[in-house]
Amino acid sequence: MDIGRPQRIIEIEPVSLPLPSPDLPSYEPAPEPAPAPNPDPSPVEPVDP
Amino acid sequence: MTTASALRSLEATTGIEPIVAWRTWALTGHRDGSNLLLRPVAGRSRPWRPMQIAEAACKHTRMHASPSLECTCGLHGTHGLDLLRRTRCPAVLGRVALWGRVIEHDHGYRAQFAYPQLVTLICQFCFWQWGSHAPSPDIVGWFTRDALVPLCWAHLELAQRYGMEPRRLLSADEVGLSLRETYGVDQLVHW
Repeated sequence: MDIGRPQRIIEIEPVSLPLPSPDLPSYEPAPEPAPAPNPDPSPVEPVDP
Repeated sequence: MTTASALRSLEATTGIEPIVAWRTWALTGHRDGSNLLLRPVAGRSRPWRPMQIAEAACKHTRMHASPSLECTCGLHGTHGLDLLRRTRCPAVLGRVALWGRVIEHDHGYRAQFAYPQLVTLICQFCFWQWGSHAPSPDIVGWFTRDALVPLCWAHLELAQRYGMEPRRLLSADEVGLSLRETYGVDQLVHW
Protein backbone atom coordinates (compact mmCIF):
# COMPACT_ATOMS: atom_id res chain seq x y z
CA MET A 1 0.00 0.00 0.00
CA ASP A 2 1.53 3.29 -1.10
CA ILE A 3 0.77 6.09 1.34
CA GLY A 4 2.92 8.61 -0.51
CA ARG A 5 5.88 10.61 0.63
CA PRO A 6 6.63 11.53 4.24
CA GLN A 7 5.50 15.02 5.14
CA ARG A 8 6.22 15.50 8.83
CA ILE A 9 7.20 13.74 12.02
CA ILE A 10 4.94 13.93 15.05
CA GLU A 11 6.02 12.84 18.51
CA ILE A 12 2.83 12.05 20.43
CA GLU A 13 2.83 11.37 24.14
CA PRO A 14 -0.85 10.92 25.00
CA VAL A 15 -2.05 12.07 28.38
CA SER A 16 -4.02 8.83 28.65
CA LEU A 17 -3.46 5.74 26.55
CA PRO A 18 -6.27 4.93 24.09
CA LEU A 19 -6.63 1.44 25.48
CA PRO A 20 -9.81 0.01 26.99
CA SER A 21 -9.72 -0.37 30.72
CA PRO A 22 -9.98 -4.06 31.50
CA ASP A 23 -13.36 -4.90 32.89
CA LEU A 24 -12.02 -7.11 35.59
CA PRO A 25 -13.81 -7.99 38.77
CA SER A 26 -12.52 -6.25 41.83
CA TYR A 27 -10.44 -8.50 44.01
CA GLU A 28 -10.14 -5.95 46.76
CA PRO A 29 -11.85 -7.20 49.89
CA ALA A 30 -14.95 -5.32 50.67
CA PRO A 31 -14.43 -3.02 53.60
CA GLU A 32 -15.67 -4.56 56.74
CA PRO A 33 -18.67 -2.85 58.20
CA ALA A 34 -17.93 -0.72 61.19
CA PRO A 35 -18.80 -2.47 64.39
CA ALA A 36 -22.21 -1.61 65.57
CA PRO A 37 -22.16 0.75 68.45
CA ASN A 38 -22.75 -0.90 71.73
CA PRO A 39 -26.25 -0.41 72.90
CA ASP A 40 -26.56 1.70 75.89
CA PRO A 41 -26.04 -0.48 78.86
CA SER A 42 -29.27 -1.07 80.47
CA PRO A 43 -29.49 0.79 83.64
CA VAL A 44 -28.48 -1.32 86.51
CA GLU A 45 -31.09 -1.40 89.04
CA PRO A 46 -29.79 -0.76 92.44
CA VAL A 47 -29.66 -3.90 94.42
CA ASP A 48 -30.62 -3.66 97.98
CA PRO A 49 -27.91 -4.99 100.14
CA MET B 1 19.75 18.38 -1.33
CA THR B 2 19.91 14.59 -1.25
CA THR B 3 16.87 12.46 -0.57
CA ALA B 4 18.22 11.49 2.82
CA SER B 5 18.90 15.08 3.85
CA ALA B 6 15.48 16.11 2.52
CA LEU B 7 13.89 13.47 4.72
CA ARG B 8 15.87 14.59 7.74
CA SER B 9 14.75 18.20 7.26
CA LEU B 10 11.07 17.33 7.62
CA GLU B 11 8.98 19.40 9.96
CA ALA B 12 8.78 17.86 13.45
CA THR B 13 5.96 18.58 15.87
CA THR B 14 4.69 17.22 19.16
CA GLY B 15 1.22 16.35 20.43
CA ILE B 16 -0.68 14.86 23.34
CA GLU B 17 -3.70 13.42 21.46
CA PRO B 18 -3.35 10.17 19.49
CA ILE B 19 -4.03 10.42 15.78
CA VAL B 20 -7.03 8.39 14.63
CA ALA B 21 -6.76 6.86 11.17
CA TRP B 22 -8.36 4.18 9.00
CA ARG B 23 -7.01 0.66 8.82
CA THR B 24 -7.90 -2.87 7.73
CA TRP B 25 -6.85 -6.16 9.31
CA ALA B 26 -6.99 -9.84 8.53
CA LEU B 27 -8.69 -12.03 11.13
CA THR B 28 -7.88 -15.46 12.52
CA GLY B 29 -9.61 -17.63 15.11
CA HIS B 30 -10.54 -21.16 16.06
CA ARG B 31 -13.30 -23.15 14.33
CA ASP B 32 -15.77 -22.16 17.05
CA GLY B 33 -14.98 -18.46 16.62
CA SER B 34 -12.87 -18.23 19.75
CA ASN B 35 -9.29 -16.93 20.09
CA LEU B 36 -9.89 -14.07 17.67
CA LEU B 37 -6.80 -12.16 16.57
CA LEU B 38 -6.44 -9.12 14.35
CA ARG B 39 -3.47 -9.43 12.02
CA PRO B 40 -1.81 -7.18 9.44
CA VAL B 41 -3.17 -7.87 5.96
CA ALA B 42 0.28 -7.90 4.41
CA GLY B 43 3.15 -10.25 5.15
CA ARG B 44 3.57 -12.35 8.24
CA SER B 45 3.88 -9.62 10.78
CA ARG B 46 2.93 -10.12 14.40
CA PRO B 47 -0.76 -10.12 15.37
CA TRP B 48 -2.30 -7.29 17.34
CA ARG B 49 -3.00 -8.82 20.75
CA PRO B 50 -6.21 -7.91 22.60
CA MET B 51 -5.79 -5.35 25.37
CA GLN B 52 -2.11 -4.88 24.46
CA ILE B 53 -0.53 -1.95 22.71
CA ALA B 54 0.73 -2.89 19.25
CA GLU B 55 4.33 -1.76 18.82
CA ALA B 56 6.08 -1.37 15.49
CA ALA B 57 9.14 -3.42 14.65
CA CYS B 58 11.01 -3.46 11.38
CA LYS B 59 10.90 -6.87 9.72
CA HIS B 60 13.69 -6.01 7.31
CA THR B 61 17.24 -6.91 8.12
CA ARG B 62 18.20 -3.35 8.93
CA MET B 63 18.26 -2.69 12.61
CA HIS B 64 16.58 0.56 13.46
CA ALA B 65 13.86 2.03 15.57
CA SER B 66 10.47 1.80 13.86
CA PRO B 67 9.08 3.75 12.11
CA SER B 68 12.16 4.99 10.33
CA LEU B 69 12.14 7.78 7.76
CA GLU B 70 14.27 5.78 5.38
CA CYS B 71 12.17 2.62 5.54
CA THR B 72 8.53 1.60 5.05
CA CYS B 73 8.16 -0.01 8.48
CA GLY B 74 5.71 1.00 11.19
CA LEU B 75 2.05 0.49 11.99
CA HIS B 76 0.12 1.88 9.03
CA GLY B 77 -3.08 3.93 8.99
CA THR B 78 -4.61 5.96 6.18
CA HIS B 79 -6.34 9.32 5.90
CA GLY B 80 -9.23 7.90 3.89
CA LEU B 81 -10.99 4.66 3.02
CA ASP B 82 -10.37 4.43 -0.70
CA LEU B 83 -6.73 3.46 -0.39
CA LEU B 84 -7.73 0.52 1.83
CA ARG B 85 -9.95 -0.92 -0.89
CA ARG B 86 -6.74 -2.07 -2.59
CA THR B 87 -5.48 -4.02 0.42
CA ARG B 88 -5.26 -7.78 0.10
CA CYS B 89 -8.04 -9.82 1.72
CA PRO B 90 -9.21 -7.43 4.45
CA ALA B 91 -11.62 -8.94 7.00
CA VAL B 92 -11.98 -6.06 9.45
CA LEU B 93 -12.21 -2.32 8.84
CA GLY B 94 -11.70 0.14 11.64
CA ARG B 95 -10.43 3.30 13.18
CA VAL B 96 -7.08 3.01 14.88
CA ALA B 97 -5.33 5.27 17.39
CA LEU B 98 -1.68 5.98 16.58
CA TRP B 99 0.91 7.52 18.86
CA GLY B 100 4.55 7.59 19.87
CA ARG B 101 6.70 8.48 16.89
CA VAL B 102 4.33 9.02 13.96
CA ILE B 103 5.43 9.83 10.42
CA GLU B 104 2.69 11.47 8.42
CA HIS B 105 2.69 10.78 4.68
CA ASP B 106 0.67 12.21 1.79
CA HIS B 107 -2.09 9.62 2.30
CA GLY B 108 -1.57 8.17 5.76
CA TYR B 109 0.71 7.46 8.68
CA ARG B 110 3.30 5.08 10.01
CA ALA B 111 3.36 4.89 13.78
CA GLN B 112 5.31 3.42 16.66
CA PHE B 113 2.31 2.44 18.81
CA ALA B 114 -1.33 1.68 17.98
CA TYR B 115 -4.57 0.20 19.25
CA PRO B 116 -7.91 -0.27 17.43
CA GLN B 117 -10.78 1.99 18.51
CA LEU B 118 -13.77 1.00 16.34
CA VAL B 119 -14.09 -2.11 14.20
CA THR B 120 -16.53 -3.77 11.83
CA LEU B 121 -16.41 -6.96 9.77
CA ILE B 122 -16.39 -6.47 6.01
CA CYS B 123 -17.01 -8.71 3.04
CA GLN B 124 -13.77 -8.12 1.14
CA PHE B 125 -15.45 -8.39 -2.25
CA CYS B 126 -18.19 -5.89 -1.36
CA PHE B 127 -15.57 -3.56 0.10
CA TRP B 128 -13.49 -3.70 -3.10
CA GLN B 129 -16.56 -2.99 -5.19
CA TRP B 130 -18.49 -0.48 -3.14
CA GLY B 131 -16.19 0.88 -0.44
CA SER B 132 -18.17 2.71 2.21
CA HIS B 133 -21.45 1.60 0.59
CA ALA B 134 -20.67 -2.06 1.11
CA PRO B 135 -23.38 -4.01 2.96
CA SER B 136 -22.55 -5.90 6.15
CA PRO B 137 -21.37 -9.49 5.77
CA ASP B 138 -23.78 -12.30 6.67
CA ILE B 139 -21.43 -15.10 7.63
CA VAL B 140 -17.79 -15.70 8.51
CA GLY B 141 -16.06 -18.60 6.78
CA TRP B 142 -13.47 -20.58 8.69
CA PHE B 143 -10.63 -21.69 6.40
CA THR B 144 -7.29 -23.45 6.74
CA ARG B 145 -4.70 -21.87 9.04
CA ASP B 146 -7.58 -20.49 11.12
CA ALA B 147 -8.27 -17.72 8.59
CA LEU B 148 -11.67 -16.12 9.16
CA VAL B 149 -13.24 -14.52 6.09
CA PRO B 150 -16.46 -12.50 6.42
CA LEU B 151 -18.68 -12.78 3.35
CA CYS B 152 -22.14 -11.76 2.23
CA TRP B 153 -24.41 -14.56 0.96
CA ALA B 154 -23.87 -13.61 -2.69
CA HIS B 155 -20.09 -13.64 -2.43
CA LEU B 156 -20.09 -16.84 -0.38
CA GLU B 157 -21.92 -18.50 -3.26
CA LEU B 158 -19.46 -17.03 -5.75
CA ALA B 159 -16.48 -18.11 -3.64
CA GLN B 160 -17.83 -21.67 -3.39
CA ARG B 161 -18.35 -21.77 -7.14
CA TYR B 162 -14.65 -21.03 -7.60
CA GLY B 163 -13.47 -23.61 -5.08
CA MET B 164 -13.07 -21.34 -2.08
CA GLU B 165 -15.02 -23.60 0.28
CA PRO B 166 -15.09 -22.65 3.97
CA ARG B 167 -14.60 -25.58 6.34
CA ARG B 168 -17.17 -24.08 8.65
CA LEU B 169 -19.62 -21.18 8.64
CA LEU B 170 -20.08 -18.88 11.63
CA SER B 171 -22.55 -16.09 12.24
CA ALA B 172 -21.08 -12.70 11.31
CA ASP B 173 -23.08 -11.02 14.08
CA GLU B 174 -21.65 -13.38 16.70
CA VAL B 175 -18.07 -13.12 15.46
CA GLY B 176 -18.37 -9.32 15.27
CA LEU B 177 -19.67 -9.11 18.81
CA SER B 178 -16.99 -11.47 20.08
CA LEU B 179 -14.30 -9.44 18.30
CA ARG B 180 -15.49 -6.20 19.92
CA GLU B 181 -15.63 -7.83 23.33
CA THR B 182 -12.21 -9.40 22.90
CA TYR B 183 -10.57 -6.07 22.06
CA GLY B 184 -12.81 -3.93 24.25
CA VAL B 185 -13.81 -1.66 21.39
CA ASP B 186 -17.05 -0.42 19.84
CA GLN B 187 -18.73 -1.12 16.52
CA LEU B 188 -17.75 1.12 13.63
CA VAL B 189 -21.19 2.28 12.53
CA HIS B 190 -20.83 5.22 10.15
CA TRP B 191 -18.15 4.88 7.49
